[in-house]
Amino acid sequence: MGDLYRRVLYLPRGINHRPGPHLRETTTRNNAVDSIINPIVLYLICATGAIGIAAALPRRNKVAAITGGIVLAAAVGFAILILGLNTTESGQPLPNYFFYPFAILGLGSAARMITHPRPVYSALYFILTIIASCGMYLLLSAEFMAFALVIIYAGAILITYLFVIMLATQAPSSAAEEFIDETDAVAREPVISCGIGFVLLAILTTAMFRGLGDLPAPPDQTLAQDSVLVNLPSKVERVLDRADILATGERLARNDDGTAAIDVATRTITIENTDLGTTRTIEADQWPEQLTAGNLDRLGYNLMHDHPMTIEIAGVILLMAMLGATVLARKHIELEDDLKAAQSRKLGENMKMGDA
Amino acid sequence: MINTTLLSSMLALAPDAHAGGAHAPATSEVASGPSWILLIVALPMVTTILCGIYAMIGNKSKLPAWTTVVGAGIAFLCTVAMYLSFDGTPYTVHAFDWIQVHFSSEGGDKSMIANFSFYIDTLTIYWMLFVTGLATLIALYASEYMSHDIGTSYCRFFGAFGLFVFSMACLVMGDNLLMLYLGWEGVGLCSYLLIGYFYKKPEAVAAAKKAFIVNRIGDLGLALGVYLTFVHFGSLEYAVLFNDPTLLGYVESAKVGDFSAIPAMAQWIPLLFMIGAFGKSAQFPLYVWLPDAMEGPTPVSALIHAATMVTAGVYLIARTYPMFLASEHALPIVAWIGTITALLAATIGMAQFDIKRIMAYSTVSQLGYMFAGLGVLTPTGGAYHVLTHAFFKALLFLCCGAVMHGFAGQLDLRKLSGLRQVKGWGIVSLGMFIGCINLAGVPFTAGYFSKDTILAEAFVTPGYAMIGWILLITAGLTAYYTFRVFFRVFMGPVEYHPGDELHDHDHDDHGEANHHDAGQHGDHHADHFHPHAPGWAINTVLVVLTVCSIFASGLYIVGGNKDAHTKHYADTMVSASTASYHSNYGSHAFEYYEKDPEHYPVPGIGPRGTIEQPLEMPLVGGDPHKMMYYISGVIGVIGIALAWFLHLFGRTNAAECKMDPIARMFGPIPKLAENKWYVDEIYWAILVTPLRIGSHILHWIDKLFVDGIVNVFGFLPRLLAWILRPSQSGVLQGYAVSMAGGIALLLLTVFVIILQGGAS
Amino acid sequence: MDSILSTSLAQLAFPEAVPTITLAHYLFVSAAMFVMGLIGFMTRKNMIIMFLCTELMFQGAGLALIAFGRHHLGADGQTFVIFVLCVAAAEAAMALALVVLLFRHRESLSSQSWKELNG
Repeated sequence: MGDLYRRVLYLPRGINHRPGPHLRETTTRNNAVDSIINPIVLYLICATGAIGIAAALPRRNKVAAITGGIVLAAAVGFAILILGLNTTESGQPLPNYFFYPFAILGLGSAARMITHPRPVYSALYFILTIIASCGMYLLLSAEFMAFALVIIYAGAILITYLFVIMLATQAPSSAAEEFIDETDAVAREPVISCGIGFVLLAILTTAMFRGLGDLPAPPDQTLAQDSVLVNLPSKVERVLDRADILATGERLARNDDGTAAIDVATRTITIENTDLGTTRTIEADQWPEQLTAGNLDRLGYNLMHDHPMTIEIAGVILLMAMLGATVLARKHIELEDDLKAAQSRKLGENMKMGDA
Repeated sequence: MINTTLLSSMLALAPDAHAGGAHAPATSEVASGPSWILLIVALPMVTTILCGIYAMIGNKSKLPAWTTVVGAGIAFLCTVAMYLSFDGTPYTVHAFDWIQVHFSSEGGDKSMIANFSFYIDTLTIYWMLFVTGLATLIALYASEYMSHDIGTSYCRFFGAFGLFVFSMACLVMGDNLLMLYLGWEGVGLCSYLLIGYFYKKPEAVAAAKKAFIVNRIGDLGLALGVYLTFVHFGSLEYAVLFNDPTLLGYVESAKVGDFSAIPAMAQWIPLLFMIGAFGKSAQFPLYVWLPDAMEGPTPVSALIHAATMVTAGVYLIARTYPMFLASEHALPIVAWIGTITALLAATIGMAQFDIKRIMAYSTVSQLGYMFAGLGVLTPTGGAYHVLTHAFFKALLFLCCGAVMHGFAGQLDLRKLSGLRQVKGWGIVSLGMFIGCINLAGVPFTAGYFSKDTILAEAFVTPGYAMIGWILLITAGLTAYYTFRVFFRVFMGPVEYHPGDELHDHDHDDHGEANHHDAGQHGDHHADHFHPHAPGWAINTVLVVLTVCSIFASGLYIVGGNKDAHTKHYADTMVSASTASYHSNYGSHAFEYYEKDPEHYPVPGIGPRGTIEQPLEMPLVGGDPHKMMYYISGVIGVIGIALAWFLHLFGRTNAAECKMDPIARMFGPIPKLAENKWYVDEIYWAILVTPLRIGSHILHWIDKLFVDGIVNVFGFLPRLLAWILRPSQSGVLQGYAVSMAGGIALLLLTVFVIILQGGAS
Repeated sequence: MDSILSTSLAQLAFPEAVPTITLAHYLFVSAAMFVMGLIGFMTRKNMIIMFLCTELMFQGAGLALIAFGRHHLGADGQTFVIFVLCVAAAEAAMALALVVLLFRHRESLSSQSWKELNG
């Protein structure tokens, strides 16, 4: 029984052997999906999710929708359970624990968003999804993007959606307050769509899990970040100045090729005194605490240094979108002919007055 | 020694012997003629275009008629000028390049040249003289005859009329066989248009279709003949073709009766031409369209179906006479078909009561004479008969037309009598009389001379004596039925009943000017009927034609050319052209013998067999022509006397005569003849009905099988579309589903392959 | 069987033995998010919700980008999420303008009312 269970679930050695952290480096998971989750179980979960969503999509039969919701929740829960069961241990409790609430919250609210018959609720559930993904962004050390997402998405875009929903939906009469429009109440072709969607999901997971291992440790103040500092000499100078390390007339020394004289390997900074013509080095233990390249530094550097053209393109796209939206949504006002004539007369008089 | 005499005499009498004489044969380097000759062709076309314009602007006068008369008249004057300025050397007049195809074949580079140009020699001039002359006269006649149709129909009539003259000019004057074919089809088209002129009459429509379809059979023969001519001789231009050494070699060997060296293809060409000629000239198997063609207006019958178009077959054979000579069987077949047609049509004509139909059958019969003349090696006789027949038959038709016009479409000889004594009908009666004596072959008329030329040649040409006897009997029958018409309609007690047409075909178009006539004819039917005497135009034309018919006999006396050994005008004209042929054993030989015994050939091999004793006359003894004058004169007079006795002597009313009891004695035979020996019905039974049954079978095969296959292939895409169409819901999300599903399917396939391959 | 359950509960109970969250976990969540967006786009008739679903698909893609960026310890993933945000904003503006325009024509938000391409 146990063997069969193990074979079906494809339980990895972690359950039985409990390998220590030392094993993590040595075992390369060439076929991660196999080690984390048995493909058959994964596809069963996909199929269950598909059935659940297909049943939960808006329809007249409320019982079916509720049943579908339960099935869907069970599928998500089962997937999370299996994912949680079959992973190795690590020493970082916080991110690992918080992943599950965010994943459940994100997927659950996404499922509710596409199944809720009322557009306003859908939009609100989408905000919830975004907040959940923000949590995951935080877990993934992308703090800036997490907050940007909340501000831009939840704060701006979704509010625009809500405005349009209110604008474009005719106000229901009091008699039909509980009535939901046919457009929203009944989904089209739920079975086929869910089948296709979860076939796609199964394939995507199969594809994505191949050859991928655990996440590396989160970046600490190590070489990778210091290498960014080499490219930010003015920041380094400013931090050193604020920490009163730089004396009058001292500045960051330059190498022969013009780069800042920061040795990443030995964590030393060379400073020269322009008045006296002397140089000195600041060792790693003398570095102030602020002298680190944070997430924002790295992101900004990457954005401005590696993708300047993309920024331009993004700007053009946004400008065009603004113009396009203005042109599209403009309301055509049909003027009467005599009104037009009067307007043109008035314009002509104005021009004459201007000439005079 | 004897052999050399024979050779030299034969050479002297052969057409090529005249090469150094006044009539030099055409060479390939033909001189170019003056371009005003193009007017003869262009003017009729111009009148056609003008008539079209008149119709478009809604002309309601006789302007189209005058335009056509003037156009045809100037064309006639040009023809006369062309005749007078002709110096005996054929020439061509180039209008524009038409068809010039150059290609390579096994025998080297070849070219097919058929320009829009005209070949002028004596035969052309001879034909064009009476074509344009008669066209002018008949256009003048039609200006009055068709006057009750003034309006669009009038323009239509004269438009087709001008087009006919144009086509006929192309046919006769064209310098190559394709031009001839163009004209041939053109006259066929005009014939169709004009027969169907009263297109509201079902009979006219049926007759037009019949004429067109029957002519198709002949035209196929002509087309194939033209094709074979190009294939065999490599050229279609007369100037090249008739100087082709190959053809001249064939003719030389054919003249001594040796056909073994002539290839079968060359012998087939005249047989195919012959089929075309039979169709156009209404010879025996294909003659049935001509009597029905009388549904057209009478001027059309006179011009197209009596005088000019139906002689196109004779022209074709005369023009391509060397080719016919080169065929062993073509000319005998032509002779026999002509003879059979002459006799058959004469017997039918004897029993008819419709005078226009009688004239139609007499036309068929006389065309048979012409063909027999061509067949018995006297193209001169055939061509001479064409000319005389053109005059007197046009005259006869126009007289019948005048009667028809005046008596409200009445053409039954049992309902008309003694018109000679009706006021205003003198000229018509006189014209009819002159035409009848010509047709009957009364001595010293033009018809007498021309017919006797053919008869005499039939008797003296070896192997054709039987044809001579049949034609002689036919001549007697012709005299009888011709004067039957004359004695019944124009002689005897005065009696007439109007026809039932009363111009019913033109009530729509009646203008104010004709209202008086219509009232006179329509309101007071038979009781107060007043015949509508012909006006000045008709009478003028009749007078001119009468004079022409009388003086046509003079052409037998004048115009001989001793240098060319020709006896009279037509002989001179024809002998100088490609139609030239002088028999070594015919009447010419006899004449030459009389003049110079040295030239008379000894017995030997002739083109139609061996002559043992050429000097022994097949007729009573003496010059066969002189003997023929007496014999056919007597026969003609006997026929006329019989007609007088049976149809005029003692006749008291229009409907009854002495012939009726005699006809009853013959039992069913007159009835059979009246019904045209049921030839139409026989054709219907043995040709049309099987064709129809076959067509129906093929129609159903086509509809069920062929169409079925095609429809299945047409239905398959529709079936496929019917299956696939629901997928095109038009909704955005439908396409999104298709896209996502496609990607899913694609990825699934890829991963199945990778997983299977990667596992190993 | 009971050993599995007990070990899991034991893992939850003792923080020093919590399971590691791998890249695959995040990718699974992002793929599930994306597919849900896709399903929503295909099934929902309301055009506004359809466009919301495209935003959900953007979210799935963004999460995958961030996770991959984290995996490779680079900032490119986050940079691209910025651009994804840009495109999403532009798309939202255009899409909502279109929705308003279409709504004016048909007085309905249903995508089913636009089927001129019906075969």
